[in-house]
Amino acid sequence: MSKPRVAVYKMSSCAGCQLEIINLEPILLDLLGAVDLSYFVMARRENEPGPYDIGLVEGAITCGEEIERLKKARQECHLLVALGSCACYGGLPSIKNWQPQRVVENRVYDNLAAIHSTTAYGIDYYVPVDAYLKGCPVSREELLDFIKSTLLGVRPYLRPHSVCVECKLHENVCLFVTEKAICLGPVTTAGCGALCPSRGKPCDGCRGPANDANAVSLARTMAAYGLHSQDIVRYFRKFAGMTSEFSKGAEAV
Amino acid sequence: MSVAYARQEEWSIPQLYHLPAAKLDPFLNKLKENYTLIGPVVKGKEFVFAPLSDPGELSLHYQTTLLPPKKVLHLPFEVLFSFHEDQQIIETAQEQQQQIIFGIHPCDVHAIAILDKAYTAEYPDPYYIAKRRNTLLVALNCSEPGENCFCQSLGTGPELKDGYDLLLTDLGNGYLLEVGSPRGRELVQVMDLAPAPRVAMVEKQKVLDNARRKFQKKLNTQDLPGILEENFRQPIWEELMHECLACGSCTMVCPTCFCYNVVDKIDLNLKSGKRQREWDSCMLLEYAQVALGHNFRKDRDARVKQRIYHKLVYYEPQFGTLGCVGCGRCIHTCVKKIDITDVISRLRGE
Ligand code: SF4
Ligand code: SF4
Ligand code: SF4
Ligand code: SF4
Repeated sequence: MSKPRVAVYKMSSCAGCQLEIINLEPILLDLLGAVDLSYFVMARRENEPGPYDIGLVEGAITCGEEIERLKKARQECHLLVALGSCACYGGLPSIKNWQPQRVVENRVYDNLAAIHSTTAYGIDYYVPVDAYLKGCPVSREELLDFIKSTLLGVRPYLRPHSVCVECKLHENVCLFVTEKAICLGPVTTAGCGALCPSRGKPCDGCRGPANDANAVSLARTMAAYGLHSQDIVRYFRKFAGMTSEFSKGAEAV
Repeated sequence: MSVAYARQEEWSIPQLYHLPAAKLDPFLNKLKENYTLIGPVVKGKEFVFAPLSDPGELSLHYQTTLLPPKKVLHLPFEVLFSFHEDQQIIETAQEQQQQIIFGIHPCDVHAIAILDKAYTAEYPDPYYIAKRRNTLLVALNCSEPGENCFCQSLGTGPELKDGYDLLLTDLGNGYLLEVGSPRGRELVQVMDLAPAPRVAMVEKQKVLDNARRKFQKKLNTQDLPGILEENFRQPIWEELMHECLACGSCTMVCPTCFCYNVVDKIDLNLKSGKRQREWDSCMLLEYAQVALGHNFRKDRDARVKQRIYHKLVYYEPQFGTLGCVGCGRCIHTCVKKIDITDVISRLRGE
């Protein structure tokens, strides 16, 4: 039986999620025993053409050329996966969406002649997506779990609930309650192992809204903690402002 | 299950000892020779139960801990067994070492009594039972209730009446030490302790009366099932639906919550793996989702109600006691300060 073929695509992104695949190094060879990384420009000199069994797409879609590449990726992959928060929701690139395109472009580029950027969207704005691996960057463990489950044909266990659950399972001192810090954990999807709160740093919401995120209620508490409404907006728009849940949080106060 | 406790009157030999403050550390060191000691230690501005490598780490002046001591009997994460392609199943070896939960408060002892019923009666849980058999409880009566404690309303504190192997009460100059089981008696025998003078029992009641005056929260239990059943539809539930973050923290920290999820972790060879369980929570959206996607508690108010009704109504017929022991952890941990005692007093129109 031939091994499942995996393709990794890069759109508008920092390449940090792809780097996480390479960071699987200690077990990368085992992984390569299970799948062929057939198309992975960042890691391979020669890349093989499709079709592929699994396509991992990193990055937000921010220009016409990417829309074309994304549609081609959808066609040549049996399963298409959003790899990381940019591909899931627009991620960090989406912070530009609340200013006029030209203003944002002007700030970055000297010569605007060749720049035709569009609103930054997650990939499901353009094509159907089979799975979402959230995070900035994506969690290696979740990525591996996803691949293993897919190979076995079972549903992967991707935690849908809040970061607080994992934070509690690790018995962290709650930064919100005890340290009076603003933490987006209560409305953010777990799966990171409560990475930031476990190191004393409040959750930044990088994994986007949990399955029953009540961002409006959290925004009210943030205001009650003395946060200015502009700051609350920034919190909710940092990674997943394009989601309906976090945009409600941004607009709540 | 063979964890037997008796009321102290049933013992004929002296059951009261005096443990001078200066003898606490030597006592702990003695116990450490044969037992793993688990007790409250400082973590940042909070306390947690943790194995004591040095008796000096023990902080008996704690009011509450982040997670309840339940966590050493029913682990937050636990590998149940590993499985292999050739159908072989290897059970996780259970720790044989005896452990002592030292300084556990009355509410948490009551909570363990509830877990004992839940995990040993109708569907015996071998993982819980194996740990419970090897666990002794050296309890500590509460002299300083915390701001969220309301055990007094539920009869689960600040004084413990039974369910312990040993019971300590801080009398200032040392501890009154009461024996509650044959295993507890073995523990005191490692030290040469003087019997406590009779007056110690009077002093103990003074300490506890003083504690009883300090409670800031209460929960009126009179006809709770009636009150809650009458008020199943009430504007307060809708209000809580808008408030609650469905973060799950309140159940994660509850000493009587016993729900868990089971997840398989497959190895990369796809031929073997581990079956693992971890705490679950009815506050989470996916908890009541069944095959084909239907969800019995899709709305957040249904989940807020499930938690409160389970604690205050549904436990009683099953376990003969309320499911809340008044430890106050769910109040402390809630970012939105949703308070079970406040919900009840509002339903009562107080
Ligand atoms: S620190 Fe943040 S993620 Fe952790 S329990 Fe508190 S609010 Fe939740
Ligand atoms: S801790 Fe508070 S906000 Fe979180 S689920 Fe419980 S009641 Fe809701
Ligand atoms: S419901 Fe709250 S107060 Fe009652 S036992 Fe559970 S955590 Fe403690
Ligand atoms: S149903 Fe909810 S309240 Fe009841 S034991 Fe389970 S998690 Fe706790």
